[in-house]
Amino acid sequence: MIEIKDLHKSYHMGSNSLHVLKGINFSVKEGELVAIMGSSGSGKSTLLNILGMLDNLDEGEYLLDGVTIKNLNETKAANYRNKFLGFIFQSFNLINYKSAWENVALPLYYQGVNRKLRKERAIKHLESVGLGPWVDHLPSELSGGQKQRVAIARALAAEPKVMLADEPTGALDSKTSHEVMDLIQKINDEGKTILVVTHEDDIAHMCKRIVHLKDGVIVEDKVVDQVRVTPYVQ
Amino acid sequence: MFSRDLWSEIFHSIKSNKLRTFLTGFSVAWGIFILVLLLASVDGMKNGFTKQFNDDATNSIFIYPGSTTKPYGGFEAGRRIQFDNEDLDFIKQSFTGYLEYITPRFSKSVTANFGKETGTYSIRGVNPDHQIIERTVVEKGRYINENDIQNTLKVVVIGKVIADELFKDVDPVGQNIILNKLSYKVIGIFSDDGNEREERNMYTPVSTLQRLYGNTRNIDQIALTYNPEFNFAEAINFSDNIEVALKRRLIIDPEDQGALYFNNYAEQFSNVSNFTTMLSVISIGIGMLILIAGIVGIGNILVFIIKERTKEIGVRKALGAKPFDVIKLVLLESVFITSISGLIGMLFAMAVVALISPIIDAPAFSNPSVDNVTIITATIVLVVAGVLAGLIPAMKAASVKPIVALRAD
Repeated sequence: MIEIKDLHKSYHMGSNSLHVLKGINFSVKEGELVAIMGSSGSGKSTLLNILGMLDNLDEGEYLLDGVTIKNLNETKAANYRNKFLGFIFQSFNLINYKSAWENVALPLYYQGVNRKLRKERAIKHLESVGLGPWVDHLPSELSGGQKQRVAIARALAAEPKVMLADEPTGALDSKTSHEVMDLIQKINDEGKTILVVTHEDDIAHMCKRIVHLKDGVIVEDKVVDQVRVTPYVQ
Repeated sequence: MFSRDLWSEIFHSIKSNKLRTFLTGFSVAWGIFILVLLLASVDGMKNGFTKQFNDDATNSIFIYPGSTTKPYGGFEAGRRIQFDNEDLDFIKQSFTGYLEYITPRFSKSVTANFGKETGTYSIRGVNPDHQIIERTVVEKGRYINENDIQNTLKVVVIGKVIADELFKDVDPVGQNIILNKLSYKVIGIFSDDGNEREERNMYTPVSTLQRLYGNTRNIDQIALTYNPEFNFAEAINFSDNIEVALKRRLIIDPEDQGALYFNNYAEQFSNVSNFTTMLSVISIGIGMLILIAGIVGIGNILVFIIKERTKEIGVRKALGAKPFDVIKLVLLESVFITSISGLIGMLFAMAVVALISPIIDAPAFSNPSVDNVTIITATIVLVVAGVLAGLIPAMKAASVKPIVALRAD
């Protein structure tokens, strides 16, 4: 599903140049649940931004579902993002003046789906994350865990090939963290490919594979026994 | 482009940001309000000035004789100049094609009687062209015609004031009026836009008056209008040419300033026209400046809004919004706000003008109004302003990098 070869990325700030990713080789097959770990500054967020087409790569190759991703213009990148990827952010990034279902329906709006169908599908996804009674609520009326679940529903809405989660539990307490991870595991069980960026060990071990990043290179890439979170829920 | 979804996005954004929408809208509405009021005021001033000069045709020249101030051609200084019919014919023949209308004026003061009423008025011997030059409005009956001139008929057209004073309730047309013991037939009544004093005059064929008063060929004044196509320079040039020709004919020093007086309306009217044109230019200029201030205000608010919405725009882009989607969102919002609030400002200003217009009718300021062209122009300016004001912030918004916007804070 994801194929990365010899990926390099540097940031330039004035005369200083910061080499963040120094040759990453890495591939993800369909249905995997991969944790990308590393301390801050290891380059994990940069890797995720490149995977998410939010940032351009300098050198190397990136194939997503067989499509080469390089030097895309903004419009094309937007189209690919919309078609291939679902994002989950640490700070949820819901639009605060839109209700839960309207937030979930936003990717569908940019796909040109009509309003009636959008609402139908958004409600379906909200119900699948257990927020059926909350469809008309504003983000400010929801708890942190609920907000993240709305965000997950939004990431699912466009039926993406890959879901990218950037510290999805970073802003949540451990109980709601586990709820969110349970949801991510369930979505993975249904066959969705998911990448989770985290720096927490227990979260990483709830995935099926852990990739360790340090100073811009992969230092460890291992398959682990997945820890199911079901016992913690409710 | 104008799908229901896009509009609902815009309304959503407006509804959830009432204060900033109000602030933006108010600055535009205020700008347009002032612009329309300003244009209406200038229009009022223009009307006022034009009204003051409406008395006579605006392309008219009046020529009065005076006394020479310089000895010339064997004559001493101080000779009184007197026009006669031949001078008029001379001008007529010399300037065919340049002239539009020409008339002599030969005036006398008369005591008028009708029944028991009596009064002193001035009577002017003129020919039919005079009606157009003086912009005399015949209210009843008719003006002097060519037949009256040919047959030196004793007919008069009297001013409204005379009709009121002498005839009271009687219809003057067809009645006989005694002027200096001679009986004339009243053929018409006239009014004059210029002033009431004009309406204390009466007009009779110039030939009649010349025959009755000394059987002369003398005339007091020559009034004429020139080709209305003439511009200001041509008009001045034309009156200079007449002056030169008349001075040669009447043996007057070309440098003599006192022998002939030319009253060219072009000169006065041109001053007024220049003045009002200048006024329009200035008002449009000021209006534009006010609008620019408004536009900068909107732009300012929009830039601030974009800053505030950076995160939202980043999210939208991460979810698949294309740069054009973002531009559309921001631009249409600004166009929508400017158009609606501009319309409100305009309607409000028009209401004020419509209320005030009938009340105000002072000499220098009369019936201020706004015409449709102004309104359409203002509307177009508005929408363009909205686009301009929204453009830079919209481009800025479209270039927001999702990673920057989404960085956890």
